[in-house]
Amino acid sequence: MDISTRQSDDPSVRQIALVGRFDAHEAPAFREHIDAAIADGATGLRVGLADVEFVDSTALAELIRAMKHCRERGGDVVLLTPSDPVRVILELTKLDAAFTIT
Amino acid sequence: MERRTASSSAVADRDDPVGLVTEALIDANDQLLAMYDLAAMTSQSLDESVAVSEIIERAKRVVMTDELFFVVDGWAVGSDESYAADDGATFDVSNAAGRSGILVARRPSRPFGTPERKLLRAIANLCLGAVHAARLHAEGVSDAVMQRDHDTASAIAVMSLPQWRPAIDGVSCFARSEPARSAGGDLFAFGVRDQVVSFVVGDVAGKGLPAAMMMTTVISAATAAFQLHGSAGPAAVLESIDEWVYDRLSDASLFVTLVAGDYDVEQGRIRLVNAGHSPVLFVRGDEVTQVDADLPPIGVFPVSDVAIGLEVQAFDVHPGDRLVVASDGFTEQCNPAGVPFGDPALERAMTTSGSIDEIGEGLFHTIDAFAGRAEQSDDRTLFILGADPSHGGLS
Repeated sequence: MDISTRQSDDPSVRQIALVGRFDAHEAPAFREHIDAAIADGATGLRVGLADVEFVDSTALAELIRAMKHCRERGGDVVLLTPSDPVRVILELTKLDAAFTIT
Repeated sequence: MERRTASSSAVADRDDPVGLVTEALIDANDQLLAMYDLAAMTSQSLDESVAVSEIIERAKRVVMTDELFFVVDGWAVGSDESYAADDGATFDVSNAAGRSGILVARRPSRPFGTPERKLLRAIANLCLGAVHAARLHAEGVSDAVMQRDHDTASAIAVMSLPQWRPAIDGVSCFARSEPARSAGGDLFAFGVRDQVVSFVVGDVAGKGLPAAMMMTTVISAATAAFQLHGSAGPAAVLESIDEWVYDRLSDASLFVTLVAGDYDVEQGRIRLVNAGHSPVLFVRGDEVTQVDADLPPIGVFPVSDVAIGLEVQAFDVHPGDRLVVASDGFTEQCNPAGVPFGDPALERAMTTSGSIDEIGEGLFHTIDAFAGRAEQSDDRTLFILGADPSHGGLS
């Protein structure tokens, strides 16, 4: 999975773009990006999921972890336009009610 | 201090050129014998200090100096002497595994010639090889111990799954779990009180021993919850489990999808609460009803925060009806061509005729045949609870 992080217009928010398959193998790299962004002062993360073809439970756990970290700091994780497979998983698990999704 | 052989000393006092040449020839002969000794050496020791010391002692005779030592990680192997950067001739060596060392040689009386420097570099590589072999052995032993401990912990985790099944007249129950690795995060637990079977089926996020360790905690919490809150219904059981495990899950950045329910055989009714789990199916004949989640998995938010106004789902049970709770290890399993098994195939398997045991065993055979040589992608757990076709449930 390709992961890229960039600053958004709001200095406290980072844009994270994910491309590919997000599973247990990719989780450590994703966590590194999240931790680096938060250590750098980010309180909000906008995670692009339009190009993610698959997520497993480990990936969901990482998204939840990121959400909790951001909310502890007064921010939030926003999931941007999840792909259909990801949206189905979020709906089946009722996590669509836990996240802010645009 | 420079080393001279006993035989060369006997002619050392001669001043004439013949004497000097003879002395040099004797020294060269002694060096050749020492090189042969070094080349033929095979250390039996797996201790790096002993193995390197054996090489160094032979090498000292070859290069005719007592001041020879091999430095690894800043320390001279086999001694308490730390390495000083400006001492003697140094030969840095390293291997493809990333190990490195420095051979340090001192001979104040005369500098090392080019052939001797080549020889010293070869000796340095010999020493590095001995250190590498010794450390590989030590790492192998450590890995073997860790693997043994891992296997033991996995076996203990698997043992936490109940080995018994509810035995109530007219009720059939199938429950089986096959982890993708030696242990996994899938779980089920039962409680029986009078004519009511309480059950919990779930899936801890992730695989392997970390998920299995959390799984054992959830099973313990469920067993306690059946005892303390079973009579109050599935929502109370779920909330009780959450109170036990939420902080642990949150601290470990994990969650668990969970179905908590009960089957009142006398009333012919199954009730359940679904915290983010899928697939959950209610099967009557050829009709399959997907049971949607009521709230997110345990560990995302405290259940008490999200369960306000929660309504327990209820199903009247007729003879032959069955509740199926499976893990996504079935639907997401791909065959060698990369095609997933999928929900429709699971639903077809659950509507086949036969006893609940036959249906359950049949699915495991079917998924093995479907996967073929493809690796098992996730833990597989199947729970089926239902009324026997000829007995029990509502008429």
